[in-house]
Amino acid sequence: MNVNQLIYRNLKNNLRNYYLYVFALIFSVSIYFAFVTLQYDASMDPATGTIKGQAAVRAGTIVLILIVGVFLVYANNLFIKRRSNEIALFQLIGMTKGKVFRLLTIENLILYLVSLAIGIGVGFSISKLMVMIVYKLTDVTDIATMHFSTEALKQTLIVFGIIYLLIMFVNYLFIKRESILSLFTIQQSTEIKVKRLSIFQVLLGLLGIGFIISGYVVSQQLFSGDFSTTNELFYAMAFILGAVIVGTYLFYKGSVTFVLQLIRKSHKGYLSINQVLSTSSIMFRMKSNALLLTIITTVSALAIGLLSLSYISYYSAEKQAENFVINDFSLVNEESYKQFTSILEENGIDYQVNQIEVFNVELDATNIMDFNYDEDSSVTMNPSELQLPIISDESIEEIDVDENHFFLSGYSDFLQRFMSFKKSGEATIKTESEQFSMKFIGLNREYYVSNYFTNGGGMPIGIVDEAKYQQLKTDMDPELQQRSQDGGAMTFRGIDVSEQDIEKANELFLTEEIDRWAGNDSQQNMARNQRMNMGLIMFIVGFLGLTFLVTSGCILYFKQMDESENEKPSYTILRKLGFTQQDLIKGIQLKQFFNFGIPLLVGLLHSYFAVQSGWFFFGTEVWTPMLIVMIVYAILYSLFGLLSVLYYRKIIQEAL
Amino acid sequence: MHLLKAQKIYKSFGNKFNRTEVLKGIDFTIDQGEFVTIMGPSGSGKTTLLNVLSSIDQVSHGTITIDGHIITNMKSKKLAEFRKHHLGFIFQEYNLLDTLTVKENILLPLSIQKVSRQQANEKFDLAAKELGIYEQRNKYPSEISGGQKQRTSAARAFIHQPSIIFADEPTGALDSKAASNLLNKMVEMNEKHKATILMVTHDPVAASYSDRVVLLKDGEVYSQLNKGDEDQQLFFNDIVKTQGVLGGVQHER
Ligand SMILES: Nc1ncnc2c1ncn2[C@@H]1O[C@H](COP(=O)(O)OP(=O)(O)OP(=O)(O)O)[C@@H](O)[C@H]1O
Ligand SMILES: [Mg+2]
Repeated sequence: MNVNQLIYRNLKNNLRNYYLYVFALIFSVSIYFAFVTLQYDASMDPATGTIKGQAAVRAGTIVLILIVGVFLVYANNLFIKRRSNEIALFQLIGMTKGKVFRLLTIENLILYLVSLAIGIGVGFSISKLMVMIVYKLTDVTDIATMHFSTEALKQTLIVFGIIYLLIMFVNYLFIKRESILSLFTIQQSTEIKVKRLSIFQVLLGLLGIGFIISGYVVSQQLFSGDFSTTNELFYAMAFILGAVIVGTYLFYKGSVTFVLQLIRKSHKGYLSINQVLSTSSIMFRMKSNALLLTIITTVSALAIGLLSLSYISYYSAEKQAENFVINDFSLVNEESYKQFTSILEENGIDYQVNQIEVFNVELDATNIMDFNYDEDSSVTMNPSELQLPIISDESIEEIDVDENHFFLSGYSDFLQRFMSFKKSGEATIKTESEQFSMKFIGLNREYYVSNYFTNGGGMPIGIVDEAKYQQLKTDMDPELQQRSQDGGAMTFRGIDVSEQDIEKANELFLTEEIDRWAGNDSQQNMARNQRMNMGLIMFIVGFLGLTFLVTSGCILYFKQMDESENEKPSYTILRKLGFTQQDLIKGIQLKQFFNFGIPLLVGLLHSYFAVQSGWFFFGTEVWTPMLIVMIVYAILYSLFGLLSVLYYRKIIQEAL
Repeated sequence: MHLLKAQKIYKSFGNKFNRTEVLKGIDFTIDQGEFVTIMGPSGSGKTTLLNVLSSIDQVSHGTITIDGHIITNMKSKKLAEFRKHHLGFIFQEYNLLDTLTVKENILLPLSIQKVSRQQANEKFDLAAKELGIYEQRNKYPSEISGGQKQRTSAARAFIHQPSIIFADEPTGALDSKAASNLLNKMVEMNEKHKATILMVTHDPVAASYSDRVVLLKDGEVYSQLNKGDEDQQLFFNDIVKTQGVLGGVQHER
């Protein structure tokens, strides 16, 4: 038996240990290759493609490299730890460290090459599926084609080559640093027993919870107007991030131990087998893995948060387009109106017109707004001189306003963060030379004119009585009518066509370039654009989120496998003492519930607050999309917990 | 001539705040071809001493010289070379590779030396038969008994005829017959091949096979007993007597 045979035998016999590592490798390679293939798909080409998403996908690949790199380094660490005994023994019989390192390098190279080949094959076959999903999400109707990209191959080889070197470097450091004796004891060293709970730890844990809560509280005020300058906003965000992350770390370091200790205490020293198996090992491990758990939790929260936000955006596309465009088509001037309606007539399409006249007045809203106007505020809005578009109550059937009353429509969650109005109050409307004191009677969330007329959708619109409207109109201030060609009132024209004509009308709208006038819009088009933009982003975020989910799930699962190996002797003893498999498994289930459940729960909570603090920038509907994302994430994540329990079951069965 | 010379050996564990000093200035020599036993109460630092002397752990202070080489500051590469040819180990834990068979485990030290297959097989047959594990040669460590593992580990230590063998309680898991087989094999290695042996044990019988017994207490050398021209039985009596004076847990096994 020479060294080469030794390598071969070792590889063969170690496959049982290796298979996880090989799985991690194949998974990483195929995910990466498929993703890069997508980047080089013809539809992503910035010049000629239908989606033009190359830049976005490329940004995604960088994140992917990070995730995959960390994952592989971690898997390798677990793996090399398991083999420390072997590494020590080789040195003991006189192999130099260099030689042991070379041995590992060759072994790894073989594994790498095999995994790369398999991974690229798998990646190639799933790449078509991915392209199909992207097309579906972005409303592209092309047929996805299979196309092996040599560029993608090259990039994959380079990236994994670098990761290989990195891992070898880590292994080199490991072998270099550890003494033979420490290598022999490394596996037992994870078995350190729980130390007594110190007051200091409890305080640390409580401090952690305090940090998290303070982060949450600030996050909910983030966009409520309390932080109005960019600087303040920036500091507030930095504070939230810092507080939540540090808090999470301290929480894992102290609180978990504290809470579990309370559970133990409450049983007055009598511990059932479940508690022995679950609490004692969790207490210790939560603490020693605090950093890892913090990273997993934070990135989980990030993934869930981003997924929710992009899904909110995608999900709200239709609603948002409806709010912005109002009718199937919105037209801003007479000329385009004439052109479009005659085109529709030529093509035999029936249509209905909705016309509303709009002009701007100045509103002094000081008495009806809760707006802490700040001297050095970056918000340039002055509540005493707000520019307000108004329409007559005649224009809208279901509304009738009294002579000296007015109300505001087009109010949204988004607007609410920057201008909150009182329920009612006195306000002054100014025209060129006159001032009218009016009673403000409330708000609604309806939209009546397209966003072109409401200063780009940012402002609510005022609705007044017809008589008042005419009175104001005669003294209109031309300087406020920036968007009007002649300085007078403008007319919003909305055109509706029937369901079956909409596709055709939309096509005409585009081919005849009715949208060459700024402000002319098609609802269908806008929704489609939004979906196309958000669809790709959602896909990328979703893909990365899923990859992250799988990798972090795997990391926790690997850890459990590792722990279960270490705990095997205790299971043997317990079973000899007469505990049944069911007894032990119940304890394991509890343990897995904590192990996977706590990071998941904390991650969900983090992302919930993150989403709540800023979702209104992304869309109009928060609960449905957010809950869907969270539930799917939680289910997928739990699968790994389930896998761990199954693995333990096997270990326990074999223990006797 | 001194083969191994240890001067003012200190070893402590732990960090700045929580330090335990285990070896407290040990001076100690072993001559070429000597068979030395270290005894002492549990926790007195025997294993720790053996580990630092055999280069697998580092001292906190002091120098160790083996065969004229100062190993306390030797380059790890030279140290490996040194271990390859001169050192053999039998541990308290068996330290066998689960993925290799008994035979492959035993042949491990030869696999990294330039030894022909035929020669290797001959050496294996000899060592395995003498230690009574030849029948088990194709089994994996998980399929053999504790004592058999111990003997496998001993065979591995002998197979390349090292010049010094370190053994930590080599007879711990053996019945008296297997124990005396192993000890006789060690004596034979010592006498025929001039192998120097350093053994840690609790068993006065095992100790009586050696030329000299060093008694440790609380990390210091408490006393030494030389066999001289005494026969084994007398030496055994001496050892038991001194152990009684020393106190501590003598017959824990
Ligand atoms: N890695 C370590 N870290 C901290 N303390 C250690 C470590 N290894 C050993 N010790 C301590 O050093 C002392 C001596 O340990 P050692 O293993 O040398 O005892 P021993 O004489 O071999 O005992 P035994 O006869 O039970 O094997 C013990 O008190 C032990 O707790
Ligand atoms: Mg010992």
